[in-house]
Amino acid sequence: MEHITFGSRKRTYTMAAVIASLLAILTIRLYELQFVQFQSFRSQAETNSIRQIAKDPLRGLMYDRTGKLLVDNNPSYTLTVTPFEFEWRILPLLKQLFDIDTNVVRYRVSRAGINSFQPVKIARDLSFAQLSLLEENRTLLPGVNYTIESRRVYHLKPHLAHLLGYTKEISPGLLKSLGAYYQPGDIVGFNGIEAYYEDILRGTKGYGYHSVDSRGKVIESFDHGRADIVAEEGSDLVLTIDMDLQLYGEKILHGRRGAIVALDPTNGEVLAFVSSPDYNLSDFSGRIPVDVWSALRDDPASPMFNRCSMAAYPPGSTFKMLVAVAALQEGIIDINTRINCPGSYLLAGQEFGCHGAHGDINVVSAIEHSCNVFFYKLIFKLGFDNLQKYGHLFHIGRLTGMDISNENTGLLPSREYYDKRYGSKWNIGYLVNLGIGQGEINTTPLQMAAYTATLANGGTYYRPHAVKEIKDRVSNKTTMVDNKPERLPISREALAVIQRGMFRVVNGSGTGYAARVSGTKVAGKTGTAQNPPNPDHAWFVGYAPFEDPRIAIAVIVENSGFGGTVAAPIAGAMIRRYLFGEYAPQGEHEPTEVPDPVIPVVPLRDAAVED
Amino acid sequence: MARILPTFSLRKVDLLILLPVVVLVVAGLLSIFSATHNADIFIKFQKQVFWAILGVLLMVLVLFAPPRFYHYIAYLSYGVAIVLLLLVLVFGKTIGGNAGWFGIGGYGIQPSEFAKVTTVLALGRFLSDSTTSMHSFRDLTKAIGIVGLPWVLIFLQPDFGTGLIFWVIFLAMIFWAGAEMVLLLTLLSPVIISVLSVIGIWYFLIAAFVVSTLFYVMKRNLGIALMFLALNLSIGFGVQYTFSHLPEYQKNRIAVFIDPTEAPLSAGWNVIQSKVAIGSGGMTGRGYLQGSQTQLRFVPEQWTDFIFCVPAEEFGFIGGMSILLMFTLLLFRSLRIARILEFRFSSLVVIGITSLFLFHVFINIGMTLGLLPVIGIPLPFMSYGGSFFLTSMLAIGIVLHAWMTREMFE
Repeated sequence: MEHITFGSRKRTYTMAAVIASLLAILTIRLYELQFVQFQSFRSQAETNSIRQIAKDPLRGLMYDRTGKLLVDNNPSYTLTVTPFEFEWRILPLLKQLFDIDTNVVRYRVSRAGINSFQPVKIARDLSFAQLSLLEENRTLLPGVNYTIESRRVYHLKPHLAHLLGYTKEISPGLLKSLGAYYQPGDIVGFNGIEAYYEDILRGTKGYGYHSVDSRGKVIESFDHGRADIVAEEGSDLVLTIDMDLQLYGEKILHGRRGAIVALDPTNGEVLAFVSSPDYNLSDFSGRIPVDVWSALRDDPASPMFNRCSMAAYPPGSTFKMLVAVAALQEGIIDINTRINCPGSYLLAGQEFGCHGAHGDINVVSAIEHSCNVFFYKLIFKLGFDNLQKYGHLFHIGRLTGMDISNENTGLLPSREYYDKRYGSKWNIGYLVNLGIGQGEINTTPLQMAAYTATLANGGTYYRPHAVKEIKDRVSNKTTMVDNKPERLPISREALAVIQRGMFRVVNGSGTGYAARVSGTKVAGKTGTAQNPPNPDHAWFVGYAPFEDPRIAIAVIVENSGFGGTVAAPIAGAMIRRYLFGEYAPQGEHEPTEVPDPVIPVVPLRDAAVED
Repeated sequence: MARILPTFSLRKVDLLILLPVVVLVVAGLLSIFSATHNADIFIKFQKQVFWAILGVLLMVLVLFAPPRFYHYIAYLSYGVAIVLLLLVLVFGKTIGGNAGWFGIGGYGIQPSEFAKVTTVLALGRFLSDSTTSMHSFRDLTKAIGIVGLPWVLIFLQPDFGTGLIFWVIFLAMIFWAGAEMVLLLTLLSPVIISVLSVIGIWYFLIAAFVVSTLFYVMKRNLGIALMFLALNLSIGFGVQYTFSHLPEYQKNRIAVFIDPTEAPLSAGWNVIQSKVAIGSGGMTGRGYLQGSQTQLRFVPEQWTDFIFCVPAEEFGFIGGMSILLMFTLLLFRSLRIARILEFRFSSLVVIGITSLFLFHVFINIGMTLGLLPVIGIPLPFMSYGGSFFLTSMLAIGIVLHAWMTREMFE
């Protein structure tokens, strides 16, 4: 049977019939369109037709954690040119009336080939005077029109610039990398939250349909606009920022170069994100005046530089807790291990100094007094690999994962790094410096705040985030931003030892007494990052209240000297403001009891010296 | 070389296959030129010229293979294609919502297109095997497996349209291999019933009774025919029930898919503009590079799936019919070749390739004429794009090779 049926005559005919009938269907349909309905289609093609023109959605707004509106939109008028109707001869007139760069017009109009009836944006922020000029000269300006766009308005003018970021016209480079959604002239988020949440803030473009005549001129909205696809507004963001604390921090740092990052150690919410000096975001909304731009760019204090997450400084002594916690967890030391500090440390003929001769001290005292020799010796026992391992656990030398588009990894050197950089010419002396957070090691204030928060909360790393909720305007749904907790493999006992050391730094005879706040117990660590040949940077990292931390903070003030005298009081003031509000008692620092004195503390042989 | 070269002789190349292919390739290039020449997408024409040259070289290269070569490499090439499909699922990049692309320089390659030909080869080899019987349930399952594997991988990309072609090829090849009509009816009817049940209850009820009657006429067994009817009815009602319980937006999406004019300005935009382009061409067309729909780019992405509008608008019914006639010539000639070839593998492969082209031509042109839903199926030899073009040239090479070597089997 099979032999008969394979490719039989009957089957060939069946196949031929299928081919013939399918092709016949196409032929009949082709005939129908091109002969029967020819007149109707020809006139549709020749006379009126429908065109699709994109409509921009409204960008999402931003609120602070209490629901105060921070970033809003205002209408602004943008000059557009429809390439299909445009005539090159009017270029000089355009320049004369609106003072625009003719090269921009040339470029945009000529590259619009694919969709020449879609208006391209030529200039933003037309004044009312310019708008009336346009209306008066309409007949002379074929294809020129204006459209209403939204532009950012900042209700709290000069603040939070580095965190929020700004919006501006898409650059050719971004146009390529961001993909098909964007058109030249579109607005996109640059830097900060505006850039990180671009997809969420921007919404979805809609389309309007217009009837046009045979010369391509728009006559009216097609079907009274019923067919239009409405643009979907972008989602709103609720920030985690505590505006009162933020403004307070900006006031404190005003006139100085530095940064403050404050986090909620229980969940990673960013409470304050202060980078000083800053700039006025309102300058970036719409057309930025050339003189404002060049002044910002040429300012030696680089106000546009985000010092919270982009600037990386040697952490100095604030790094010692990391070395200590790694050594405790790895069992290299315990709380009773004593290391002798004779006042200096000799390695291969080179002398590394300390602030004094601390004698036989344990890790708690070493943190309290910021003993360098203790950590010089300890880092050798710990070794490169453990340093890498624990550094990375706390996201030092890698991104914190914060929801901001511009973040620096800093630098936590590995053997490979030194091999690459110096070949075989580096020696173990390089490791010595790392023990006290000096040398080729850099961390951002954001990293230090996240590290402090993790030490404070007993070993859970929460991804720092400045956006709490995303409110979808279309579906009215609210999404919480995930803080992605990572439980670090570090025992609570080891962390308790570190916390005790940090407590003593502030409340014992350590260097952080200036961070004390009446009514609560603060723990922390000062640091002074050497920055030869320039003056040192002052660091302070800390948290409060000691028993139940609600704020973790990192403060750096560039080229200002000692951490204990410059950065610690700032941290103390921030903590007071956050915990007790505007009307907090500003009284004298009260000496606080050192809690739980179970651990024997070696008596001091030398006065506490600023590290 | 000496043993390979005698295969190739220019006189043995079948001109009735070669002629329409050459005409279609040239017509395709002219159409792409017309659709892209006055904009910065002209690079697409230049790229397609490159593909055309490469395609012709590939086709010629295919002819030099020894007899039975494609029989020999059928399973191997099938395996390679499967590996590529797996790799593209993992490492592929996404273009237009479909993740089935490998990027090489500025060119994108879609393994799913090559898999069409390798699947034809593998299925051809399996069905032509002397131990394979069309009456064995086991063998049928195996054949389904051969086609199902690449289909699943392509479906996951996700690419619905390209996946569909595999089943068309399957049906055509098992039909040619001698599958019983009842079997084909059983395989086809649930598909027809599902589609009709979404369109309207009466369509599917009538269809269910018609196919069941046919089944009874073929099988002469009332019991089984009634079961067949019950099965079809339950499928139809099941699909209808599912459809009516879908969320509104999904329902709309399916409705627009079936009839694009329901959403004239989003999904239906292409189809409406394509119909205006074709209809306004009339009998003689508006002249090369003179079609307003084409030149003003009313039809989005015209150079790919909607390329047929260009000759139909600019050369009218004469242009459109010329294209259709070339395809008609190609399809009937390859059917004739399949009938003549005695080596079963070759015969089956030629049928597979014929059905591949038939499906592409019918769906693609039917879509531009507003007859069929819009699914991303390119027009052979004419649409812009490298992967399917090369695949088509490869397939033509295999058909020509089968014809040239037909007397070389002992």
